[in-house]
Amino acid sequence: MTSWLRLSIALGAVVLAHSGLGQNYQGRELVKATLLADTSAVGPGKPFTAGLLLRMAPGWHTYWKFSGDAGLPTEIKWNLPPGWKAGEIQWPIPLKTNDPGDIQTYGYQDEILLMQEITPPAKIDISPVKLSAEANWLVCEKICIPGSAKLELELPTAASAEAAAAAGSAKADPKNTDLFARYRRLLPQNFPDSKMATATWSRSNSELRLKIVNENLANYPTVDFYPVPQGNTVVGHPSLESRKSNEIVFRIPIESPDKNLSAMPGLVVFSKSPNGNDRAAWQLGTTAIAAAQTAQPSRGIVTFLFFGFIGGFILNLMPCVLPVISLKIFGFIQQAGQSRQKIFRSGLAFTAGIFAWFLALALVLIALKAGGRDVTWGGFQFTNAYFVLGLSVIVLVFALNLFGVFEISLPQSMTRGLLASSERKDNLGSFFQGVFATVLATPCTAPFLGTALGFAFTQSPLVILSMFVAVAAGMSAPYLLLSAQPAWLRFLPQPGAWMVHVKQFMGFLLLATLLFLLYVLGAQRGLDGAIWASCFLLIVAIACWMKGAFILPATSVTKRTLVVVFMLLLLLLSGVYFIGDKFRVSKIDVAVSGAPGDWQPFTPERLQGARDQGRAVFVDFTAAWCLTCKYNEKSVLESAAIREAFQRHGVVKLKADWTNGDPVITKLLQQFGRPGVPLYVLYPGKSEEPIVFPELLTQRILLDKLETITPAVVSQ
Amino acid sequence: MKTKLLLTAVAASVAGALYAADVPPVGSAAPEFSTPDANGKTQSLSQYKGKYVVLEWFNPDCPFVKKHYGGGNMQKLQEDYTGKGVVWLTIDSNAPGTEGNLTADQAQKVMNSWKTKMTALLIDPESKVAKLYGAKNTPHMVVINPEGKIVYEGAIDSKASPNPADIPSSTNYVKSALDESLAGKPVSNAQTKPYGCSVKYKSS
Repeated sequence: MTSWLRLSIALGAVVLAHSGLGQNYQGRELVKATLLADTSAVGPGKPFTAGLLLRMAPGWHTYWKFSGDAGLPTEIKWNLPPGWKAGEIQWPIPLKTNDPGDIQTYGYQDEILLMQEITPPAKIDISPVKLSAEANWLVCEKICIPGSAKLELELPTAASAEAAAAAGSAKADPKNTDLFARYRRLLPQNFPDSKMATATWSRSNSELRLKIVNENLANYPTVDFYPVPQGNTVVGHPSLESRKSNEIVFRIPIESPDKNLSAMPGLVVFSKSPNGNDRAAWQLGTTAIAAAQTAQPSRGIVTFLFFGFIGGFILNLMPCVLPVISLKIFGFIQQAGQSRQKIFRSGLAFTAGIFAWFLALALVLIALKAGGRDVTWGGFQFTNAYFVLGLSVIVLVFALNLFGVFEISLPQSMTRGLLASSERKDNLGSFFQGVFATVLATPCTAPFLGTALGFAFTQSPLVILSMFVAVAAGMSAPYLLLSAQPAWLRFLPQPGAWMVHVKQFMGFLLLATLLFLLYVLGAQRGLDGAIWASCFLLIVAIACWMKGAFILPATSVTKRTLVVVFMLLLLLLSGVYFIGDKFRVSKIDVAVSGAPGDWQPFTPERLQGARDQGRAVFVDFTAAWCLTCKYNEKSVLESAAIREAFQRHGVVKLKADWTNGDPVITKLLQQFGRPGVPLYVLYPGKSEEPIVFPELLTQRILLDKLETITPAVVSQ
Repeated sequence: MKTKLLLTAVAASVAGALYAADVPPVGSAAPEFSTPDANGKTQSLSQYKGKYVVLEWFNPDCPFVKKHYGGGNMQKLQEDYTGKGVVWLTIDSNAPGTEGNLTADQAQKVMNSWKTKMTALLIDPESKVAKLYGAKNTPHMVVINPEGKIVYEGAIDSKASPNPADIPSSTNYVKSALDESLAGKPVSNAQTKPYGCSVKYKSS
């Protein structure tokens, strides 16, 4: 068995010979290496081209400068006399090979000439001159064998550059001329100037997008991008994202966490057929990239900020914000009798609250993004059970406040600091109402907002910040307008005893919101989790009651302190017991909580498996806390008409549950450019491309698309 | 028209998305597997929960693998870190009929003659484990922490060559990932481009 070791040593040995050298393996010549020049004599200071010619046995290949998923680029180390210089290897456009297991490599078959420009010094003393180089390569068929050769090139020198030129044209070996010309034709060209073609890069999370625009693209059925990743970047397989007559977009997945990477050198390869001999290419280097980077960001940003504003406005209409809206409208009613200034100031404070929350959120997101964490919209908050719990506490406290269990009063010192004016107190209240409204708004990915934020998360911190400002502006606009135009408030009814009833009724709306939050907790942490959280909420309620019952304006400082200490103690102890201990360990068994009915839990393997069988697949990306998802499921996906249509077309139904922020699903959502759920995708068949549905699903849209797919053979 | 283009764009991206989703990124949970080793014992990842685990994709005929076994470099790493309580699972994921595929008997012979020091040599002829981890090379290295999260994946060291003479001047990424992790530090080079032969998957 040591033969393996012996073999490796034998193969590692370097063979030395004069011109052509063979690499033999089991009695077979795999590679013959030769060093050649495109001139028969070298002149002082006159550059010429030398080339390493590798002739490979049929079926064997060597590699390009980026070898792909396996293999190794060929290396040439020149050993030149002092004063001589060798340029970089000029790599002809390689062939792209796919091996089993999705292994993609770039290389050369049969024969390749790797050229380098050699520049002699201004004065050459010796003739003929001997130039030597060591070449290392890896040659693979199904197996790989490293090869190596020390090669020499002997060239006579001409006295002057002119004589060399004459000798070059008169006596150059015609075979070499053809050979060099043939491989020069296979070299990539520089990227054309911006009037002819443009290359634009953009980055979204873990992938780069490259857009090439050129009038002649339509002439080439096959257009591909061969990447040349730099440094430690790990690149996935580039794929074609879209193609129009004069425009093509590639996606290039980046598998290593290079945060600052925004472009990648490579070749844009054109041919009539894949790996065709007519292949031509444009080289995308660093200069084309720099130009592209400056061209990119200005485009579309205003549009997306506008979407952000509209999205923010729409947030006001989402069910999860409605209770707070009612609160605010109630506030306006109360203020109707007050002075215009006071109302406007209150409106400003509410707006400031909205802005404060969105800005804080933006800063947290920027910080997390900088830390390399995956950040997505609602999921970032709602997949975290503690966030939901915290929100439940806030909702409960507000509800109890509305019921009149206790009144919110600022600490004496603070009140004094704020000039003890009741107006200030109102403004502070408005400020926190603004904060509260936005906290509740976040899980509602309104369609516009989703697009806008999906865009923002891929951008620089400044863009993220401006996007959040736009959303905040959109959300606060109606309040600001209403408080600046109190004339409209005139139509609102006069204050009276009915207001107390409305206030109390609002409390029930908040309790309904609390029920929803508990449902989310239950989905995340199971029945036990929800119960332990409820126990803690009960203690919170008792603490609130203590505050209302025992801390009155006339209460002495000693008693006040005593009650507060007791309250805090109660909260702390119950927090530690119910949350730190019981709630923390409660979790839901994923295997047990499988998808209901004829839905199967989503896994990438299951999806691939079903598609390989030629079945159509529908994937429902959902989460327990996503109301839009629940609504769509109830009204569309589980409706009789859709169930029947799914069945008739033999559609495999997969449910991707994102309640707890499954990273596999997160990644897939990101790749669809979505920051969160819902997302609905229909994969029509094995080779056809999937269809993505809007966030607000209707039976009509779904049925229309289902009718376009061919019914699968149900009885297989 | 515009919607259609948009749909096509999104649609085209899906194929790529699926491939990318196949490869668990650094920081994510290491996929569970269960496969027999050269001694016929079943090895699964979950049985080593609470320990550092190294996965090493293997092919005894691959020059890049031989580079590290020929001079005892890999054996020394295995010996050093298994001595520190690290579990070292070497995996042969090459399909039957391809270079480097091993039966249990052959695997035992390689282990004896090469004096290997891994915890176990796993036999994965259907390339199941390789697919789970998106392993495309031999050697392809993965380091998993006691919580079952991937903390390193990629090459064995910094010099992509089949030449053993390059080993002394290379940075060994697996060694640094393990040293940093064991010292409670984050891994500074958590992902690199693996180099080597391809894992020989079954042609389909």
